[in-house]
Amino acid sequence: MSKRVKIVLFGILIILVQVAAAQQRFPKPEFETGYVQPSPTTPEPRGLAVEYMDVLVLLAVLSLATWFALRSRSRRGILWLSVFTLIYFGFYRKGCICSIGAIQNVALSLSDAAYNISITALAFFLLPLLYALFFGRTFCAGACPLGAIQDLLIIHPISLPPWLRKSAGIIPVVYLGLAILFAATGTEFIICRYDPFVGIFRLDAPYHMVVLGVAFLLLGMFVSRPYCRFFCPYGVLLNWMSRFSKWHLSITPSDCIKCKLCTSSCPFDAIDHPTEESAPPPGRTYYRRFILYSLLIPVWVLVGGFIASKSYTYLSRAHQDVYLSELLIHHPELVNDPDNLDIQAFLSSGKTLDTLVEDARVVQQKFRTGGWFMGGFIGLVIGITLLNQVVFRKRKDYQPNRGDCFSCGRCMDYCPVKN
Amino acid sequence: MNEDQILKISANAAIVAFVFSFIVAILLMLNYYQLKANDPLELESMELLVERLKDEPNNEELKSEIRSLDLLARKAFFTSQWQVKTGRYLLLLGSVIWIFAMRYYFTARSRIEEPDAAQVSEATARTFSQRWIMIAGGTILLLAFLASFAVNDHLKPYQASGEGEGAGPAADESIEVIAITESPDTVQGEAYTPSESQLDGEPAGDDELAAQTVEGESVGLTAPAGLSGLAGTHHNGFRGPFGNGVSQHKNIPVDWDGMTGKNIRWKAEIPMQGYNSPVLWEDKLFLTSGDNSVRMVYCFDSGTGKLLWQQEVRDIPGSPATPPRVTEDTGLSAPTVATDGTRVYAIFATGDIIAFTMTGKRVWARNLGVPDNHYGHSSSLIIWNNHLLVQYDSNKGGKLLSLDTSTGNTRWETSRQTGISWASPILAEIGGNHQVILSADPLVAGYDPETGKELWSVDCMMGEVGPSPAFGEGLVYAANEYARLVAIRPGAADPVVWENDEYLPEIASPVVSGGLIFIATSYGVLVCYDAASGEKYWEEEAQQGFSASPLVADGKLYAMDTGGIMHIFSLSKEMKKLGTPTLGERAYASPAFSDGTIYLRGEKYLYCIGNE
Repeated sequence: MSKRVKIVLFGILIILVQVAAAQQRFPKPEFETGYVQPSPTTPEPRGLAVEYMDVLVLLAVLSLATWFALRSRSRRGILWLSVFTLIYFGFYRKGCICSIGAIQNVALSLSDAAYNISITALAFFLLPLLYALFFGRTFCAGACPLGAIQDLLIIHPISLPPWLRKSAGIIPVVYLGLAILFAATGTEFIICRYDPFVGIFRLDAPYHMVVLGVAFLLLGMFVSRPYCRFFCPYGVLLNWMSRFSKWHLSITPSDCIKCKLCTSSCPFDAIDHPTEESAPPPGRTYYRRFILYSLLIPVWVLVGGFIASKSYTYLSRAHQDVYLSELLIHHPELVNDPDNLDIQAFLSSGKTLDTLVEDARVVQQKFRTGGWFMGGFIGLVIGITLLNQVVFRKRKDYQPNRGDCFSCGRCMDYCPVKN
Repeated sequence: MNEDQILKISANAAIVAFVFSFIVAILLMLNYYQLKANDPLELESMELLVERLKDEPNNEELKSEIRSLDLLARKAFFTSQWQVKTGRYLLLLGSVIWIFAMRYYFTARSRIEEPDAAQVSEATARTFSQRWIMIAGGTILLLAFLASFAVNDHLKPYQASGEGEGAGPAADESIEVIAITESPDTVQGEAYTPSESQLDGEPAGDDELAAQTVEGESVGLTAPAGLSGLAGTHHNGFRGPFGNGVSQHKNIPVDWDGMTGKNIRWKAEIPMQGYNSPVLWEDKLFLTSGDNSVRMVYCFDSGTGKLLWQQEVRDIPGSPATPPRVTEDTGLSAPTVATDGTRVYAIFATGDIIAFTMTGKRVWARNLGVPDNHYGHSSSLIIWNNHLLVQYDSNKGGKLLSLDTSTGNTRWETSRQTGISWASPILAEIGGNHQVILSADPLVAGYDPETGKELWSVDCMMGEVGPSPAFGEGLVYAANEYARLVAIRPGAADPVVWENDEYLPEIASPVVSGGLIFIATSYGVLVCYDAASGEKYWEEEAQQGFSASPLVADGKLYAMDTGGIMHIFSLSKEMKKLGTPTLGERAYASPAFSDGTIYLRGEKYLYCIGNE
């Protein structure tokens, strides 16, 4: 890509950021005497039939993506399907509901008996996982609007070294752990709050979120699908499911002729090379490391659990009760600040500070307990990832990595074997 | 069409789409900055016209001009909004075309690359990966670990001091925790009686105070006057007799100027600040002040402004060594004193309650238990036939206390199913009997002042109730910000006669007179409703908010805003402003009246105002 084109690309993205920041809020008008200010109304929830329609669309898109990836082997089909997904689930449905965010609905429903998860949210959570279990990550290929918007903007992908990909792969695990902890404690749905692309879908977002979204798109021109690979918490689950997929996209429809034409086709570095092309691993060292890393797994789990549990002090501050308690204890003068809506809302509730602190302590306890699970989970994943680095499996052909492959079908286009 | 032509078309389409998007983006930015620089909703000319309208409220031409300008401004605003909205869609369209053209261009230009001949050793790559996974994982855990030590759990100190009776103050001095001392039950009977020397007019020394016994007996002063004797004669407590905000005094001035001295008979400096209101009994004017080091009761000569006596409130059994932390805008001396002509009674946010003779001799004193109140206790005292009534609602629950005016001993105590409040009690004659009426979250309730028995209650309030109730036209009125203004017929099967939530007071109490009820809000709107139906008659916006409760005297409404401007209106359904005299300093206290005179407490000075 020429330097001029890069400058142009950068320029337009900067302008996008500026424009998105130009939001206005219309102040409450001052009417003459006699005007009755209308009472605020709560919009009706989306009709059930329309919700089910969304599930049907998801099912259809997943099936089509699977068909294009596994049967018709059509990259073009997947591409246009992702355009449809971007328009329907992205701009029309404004990024909500989405399977990534549905993790939180499921987590909350499991921790809070009073919370009834909707069938739609459950379907959005389970369907892509089921498809991944049988057919690989076809959801990422054509049914995810977040993936689609990044995929369409891949201009000049660069390859990342394995050590960077592996170590950065811890980030989505941490994000997943935090998202579940925050949702299960009723604190917040952080995946939705920090969805970098929802502001673009809605053409309306806080300034920092627009900056984040545009930054991801800008980065994604060169580092393909950065959010999917290094942040997406749902991608962690899809990765696990896809590893066991019974049927998965293959680069070649029959025997690999080892022409190597596909080696640079994957913008996500998700093609594994045949093992005979790599130098054989030194035997004894790797056995010793295998035993060491195996023994280290419980240590990672315990240390992770302990540290995350200790981290309840700052993690729990994301919860409104803890935040308000600390604010009121530290800054009692803020009760006189009419612009502090949090405090004004609390004051109007009639709740006492003692009750609030009591509630906040319950939340903190949940974070302590949940921290053990979250930290243990993160430690476990780190330990297993480390162990995986000393486990070798034989491969004869160039194959998509079942965990990392998005089933986008680019590699199929490169393969000269068509039948 | 050959490949080169397609490449050329896609490249041109990308350039055109980019230029289009760029122009739209620039126009949007210009629109944004133009709107920011000249907001049509914040026109200076509009503000000037509105200012003019205040001086010429009946100028129809001016009103028409304002309406026209307002319409223009709104049109400009909405046009701008339409431009922004349309621009966003155009920009999206341009960006989509640009993206597809670019993609097509680069895809068409791409060539199959040579396979990478140099293979990186998988073993080497894996060794690197192991190292970096450990570094990344270890760094995340280490940072989390350090953060857990760097951040304190601020709720822990609160727990330590908030739980358990008699617990010490919080370990962290920056945390507002109000220590709970002994409850009034445990200090009952420990009322303090003065020594002979004090009765003779000499303040007691430290040794003498320490040696005084707590007997709970009367000091042999004359019996305090009953309620009937007070009504209509003396402004003897917060919002006058009955605490209802209506005075019977006549010839109250409507014009003065604190800066030039116009109609100011005297002006006396108040030694310390406080938010309580002046109280008058014949030639004596009482008020209190306080800070963390000292709490004082002052008595001024109402005729001359001379400070007749001042007494420090100290050496009270059970009084906390360190005053509870209160907010600056409430302070430790927010409650107004009460007097029955025999003694003057004062209460502070420390829970200290004290009685002095009219000449400044200490009669009794006790501590009611430090109120758990995050702003500071502010409920004023009221007297009914030897009963000194104290509304003592704190975070630990609500209660109404009656203390013997002569000894300070508890005569009765009634627990209330309410939360904390800052309102003051009022007295009302309902069905031929007197009742003390309280407002708090969630109850507005009436009690028998003789026994403390709850006679009726209505669950209708919420939030942090600051305004006191009012009584008139046979109805009880209560209001609070974020809740409602409600008219209650006590004891009725369906007690709520009407309610309204359009304008609600935060601090100032409502006042009822002449079939009208007046509300003064903390954001500066004064509203007049029909007391019987709740129909709104008029509203007027002041420059500043109202903290002082409005009072009615001489057939006029007196409402002082925090800027020290008194807004005087006639009691009528049509708004008729009689004057806006200024004090020349900020003011938060309600006025006190006597015939021909009004007494006002400013931030620093006490004023006596009367027509020359």
